[in-house]
Amino acid sequence: MSTTAAPTPTPTQATFKPSYLARAIAAFSGWPGLVVKVAFLGVVNALAVWAATVLADQSNWPAFGVLVLFTLLIDLIYLVPRRPGLIPLKFIVPGTVFLIAFQIAPILYTVNVAFTNYSTGHIISKSGAITAIKENSLQPAQSGTTYAMAAARDKNGDLVLILQDSTSGKTYVGTKKGLTPIPRAAVTLKAGAITGATGYTLVPVKELAAIGQQLTDFHVPIGENAAIQPQGFDTAVPLQPTLRYDPERGVFVRISDGAVFRDNGLGSFVSSSKEELEPGWATHVGFRNFSRAIHDPLIRKPFLRVLIWTFVFAGSTVFLSFALGLFLAITLDKPGLRFQRGYRSIMVIPYAIPSFLSLLVWGGLLNDDFGVVNNLFHVHIPWLFDPWMAKVSVILVSTWLTVPYFFLVAMGALQAIPKELVEAAKVDGGGAFQIFRRVTLPLLLVATAPLLIASFAFNFNNFNNIYLLTGGGPATNDQPIAGATDILISYTYKLAFATGKGNDYALASSIAIVIFFIVATVSGLSFWRTKALESVR
Amino acid sequence: MSTFDEAARAPAVPAPVAAEAPAPRRPLLAGNWWRHLVAIVAIVICLFPVVYIASAAFSANPSLTGASAIPSKLTLHNFGLLLHGSTATSEQTFASVHYVRWFVNSMIVCFSTAILTVLLGALAAYAFSRFRFTGRRMGMLFLLLIQMFPQLLAIVAIYLIVLKVGGVVPQIGLNTLTGLVLVYMGGALGVNTWLLKGFFDTIPADLDESARVDGATPAQVFWGVVLPLATPVLAVVGLFSFVFTLNEFAIVSALIGTKNNFTLPLGMRGFIDQQYGQHWGPFAAGVLIAAIPAVLLFQFLQRYIVSGLTAGGVKG
Repeated sequence: MSTTAAPTPTPTQATFKPSYLARAIAAFSGWPGLVVKVAFLGVVNALAVWAATVLADQSNWPAFGVLVLFTLLIDLIYLVPRRPGLIPLKFIVPGTVFLIAFQIAPILYTVNVAFTNYSTGHIISKSGAITAIKENSLQPAQSGTTYAMAAARDKNGDLVLILQDSTSGKTYVGTKKGLTPIPRAAVTLKAGAITGATGYTLVPVKELAAIGQQLTDFHVPIGENAAIQPQGFDTAVPLQPTLRYDPERGVFVRISDGAVFRDNGLGSFVSSSKEELEPGWATHVGFRNFSRAIHDPLIRKPFLRVLIWTFVFAGSTVFLSFALGLFLAITLDKPGLRFQRGYRSIMVIPYAIPSFLSLLVWGGLLNDDFGVVNNLFHVHIPWLFDPWMAKVSVILVSTWLTVPYFFLVAMGALQAIPKELVEAAKVDGGGAFQIFRRVTLPLLLVATAPLLIASFAFNFNNFNNIYLLTGGGPATNDQPIAGATDILISYTYKLAFATGKGNDYALASSIAIVIFFIVATVSGLSFWRTKALESVR
Repeated sequence: MSTFDEAARAPAVPAPVAAEAPAPRRPLLAGNWWRHLVAIVAIVICLFPVVYIASAAFSANPSLTGASAIPSKLTLHNFGLLLHGSTATSEQTFASVHYVRWFVNSMIVCFSTAILTVLLGALAAYAFSRFRFTGRRMGMLFLLLIQMFPQLLAIVAIYLIVLKVGGVVPQIGLNTLTGLVLVYMGGALGVNTWLLKGFFDTIPADLDESARVDGATPAQVFWGVVLPLATPVLAVVGLFSFVFTLNEFAIVSALIGTKNNFTLPLGMRGFIDQQYGQHWGPFAAGVLIAAIPAVLLFQFLQRYIVSGLTAGGVKG
C-alpha cells in the first residue's frame, strides 16, 4: 500500500527541548497523576453510591445490580496492585465505559426500538393504556345531575373539592380517593355558590386560574368506573364510562351498542369496523416498520426520493470537491510560483471557519429577497425555495465547504509522489496531460481512496449541511415531513423530533438501521479493496 | 549504474531546447499567468462570504437589505446590539438573545470534550500500541466498525437514555451541559484511537524500555515518555474534536431545551432563522466572534494538520 509519507515530526532529536505542553503533560507521571487518579476514583465511587441509593429507592434492581457490578469492577482494576493481566485494562476501561454507555447501548436500544411501534400514541405500557382508555371513556352522565363546587385545601394542603348536589342539596368533600358526605351545616353558601367550609381553606379566586389544569385532571371516583369531574371553577358533573373492560377476554366493550374492541397485535384496541381506541401502547411489531417502507405508499414514495437524493448529494459533493481540490493543488504545485504560500493559506480559510457558521451565513447570502448573491447580480433566483434550485445550492455550498479539505489532502499526496516517476514518464515522451492521466492520478487515487470513501460516508450523514442551510425544505407535495433537500439522516431526525407532526421513534430507528447498512456496505467494500485493514499488526 | 546515470541525465539535454523553441508549441499555458488567474478566482470565491460578513458586522446598517462589500461607515453598533441588546428600538427583538451564554457554553462543552477525548483516546491507544493481549486485534477492528454507526444515528436512543439517567442523577440528565459532554465522550474512541495508535507506534519502544528499567510503572511511561513525545498528534486530535463538537447540532438540539443552556449552533440558528432581514448585522457580529477560537486554534496547529489528515486516512 502506498503511503502518503506523513511528515511526522521526529520524536527524537539531538538537542531535546520539550515544549511547555509536553512538560506539563509529563508532570502527570509524578504525584499530580496519582492525585488525579485517586480523586477520579473517589468521584466515580461517590457518584455510584449516590445513584445506587436513588435506584434502590425506585426499586430499580436490574439497574442497581449493573451499577454495583461495574463500580466494583472499576475499583478492582485500579486498586488491585500489579497484576500484569489487568494493566492494559487500566488504559482501555475509561474510554470503554463511555463507549458502552453512549454508543453501544444506544445502538442496541435503536435496534430494539426499530422493531416496536414506539411513537406518539404508542408510548406507554399496555396496562397503562387500559387505564387511560377507561379514563378517556368517561362522559358526562345522562342524569343531568350537577354539583356546586369549590376548590379547597385540607389540613395537609392537598387539593380537595367541596361539593353540593344541586338537586338533593347534600354536601360532600371529594378527594382523589372518593366522595365523603359532610354535614350540611359545615358548608357556607351564598346565592348557590360555596363560600366556605369548616376545616378547609377555599382556594382564593385569583389563584384558581393557576391550578386550572390540575382541576381539569381532578377526578373524584364514585362507584365502579364512574367519577365526578370539575367543569370550570364552580361546578362539577358526574361522569360515566362509555366503555367496559372485560379482563377475562382482554377486550373493551362499548356499553351503548355492544361493539367489541380487540387487541390487534400492533398495540391498539380496534373494533371490527376498524375503529381504534386511543391511546395505544408500545409493543414489538416485528419487521413491520421495514415493510412499511416497501409497501406503504405514504412512506415508500418519500423514502425512495430521499434515499436517491442522499446518494446524489453525497456522491456529487465528494466528486466535485475532490476534482476542484485536486485541480487547485496541481495548479499551485509549481516550484517557484510567486505568492504560493499566500494563496494556500487563504484557500484553507473556509476549512478553518466552523462550518455551522458558514452554513448559516450562506443561508443568508442566498436568501431570495435580501440575499447578497441576488442583489449583486440583480437577479431574483429562489436559491433555497425552489425544490431544484435548493438541491443545486446545497451541493454548491457543501462543495465550497469541502474543497479546502481535499486541496490540503491533494497537496500532501502530490508531494509524496516520487519525482522520478514523473521524470521517467517525461523521458518516455509523455505529454503533461498524459502523465497526469496515467501516472499522477492513479497514484493519487490509491493514496486518497480511503479519504474519499470516508468523505462519502461523512456526507451521507451530513445532517448540518442540510438542516442549517435549508432545514430540509422546501416542502414537497407528496409528504408533510420529508422536504426536497432532506437526506436520510435529516428525515430520520424530523420523524423523531419534528414538533407538531408526532414523534415516530420506531420508523426513525428503523431508517437509522438502513443507513447503517448502506454506509457499512459502501465502506466495507472499499476498505476491503484498499486493504487498509492489513496495517493492524 | 553508469547507463542508468546517463538515462537520468538525458532529459536535461532537450529541456533548454524546449525553452528556446519559438512560441507556437505552447503559447497558451506558457508561464504562470493562468495559475495566478485560477488562484485569484478561487480566492475570490473563498473570501466572498467572509468579506460580506465582516462588512455587515462593522456596518451601521443592521439589516441585510442593501448590504455591500465595503460599508460606508465603520461602527461597533452591531456588536453592541448582540451583546447588550439594549437599544430602545430593538429591545424587544434582542431580549431573548443570550449570545454570551451560548458562547461560554460552547467553549465549556468544546474544551471539556476535546481534552477528555484526547485523554480517553490516548489511554486506549497506548494499550493497543504497547501491550499484547487477547482481543486486541478484535478491539481495534470493532472500533472501526462502530464508526459506521455514528451517535447521530442513535439520537432517539440517546435521548431516551439521557432522559432515564436524568431521572436518577438530574445533574447529568436532559438540559445539562455535563450530560451533553458525557454523551460526546461515547464517541471518544474510534478513529481517534487509530490515529493515536498509529503515532504511538512510531515512538521507539526502546524509550519505554529504558524508562521501565529505571523503575517506571506503565502509567509513568505513558505520562512521562509517550504522551509528551506525541504532543503534535494530541493537538491534532484535540483540534478535530473541538471543531466537531463546536459544529454539532442534532444531539444538542435533542438534549438541550432551554435557551440559557444552548450552544452556539442552536442559539444562532434560532436567532437568524427566518429573520435574515432584521438580524443580519448583529448576526454577522456573532459569526465573527464565534469564528475566533477555531480559527486561532487552526492557525496555531496548522503545521500538524496536513500530516494528521493524511496519516489518518492512509496509515489507518
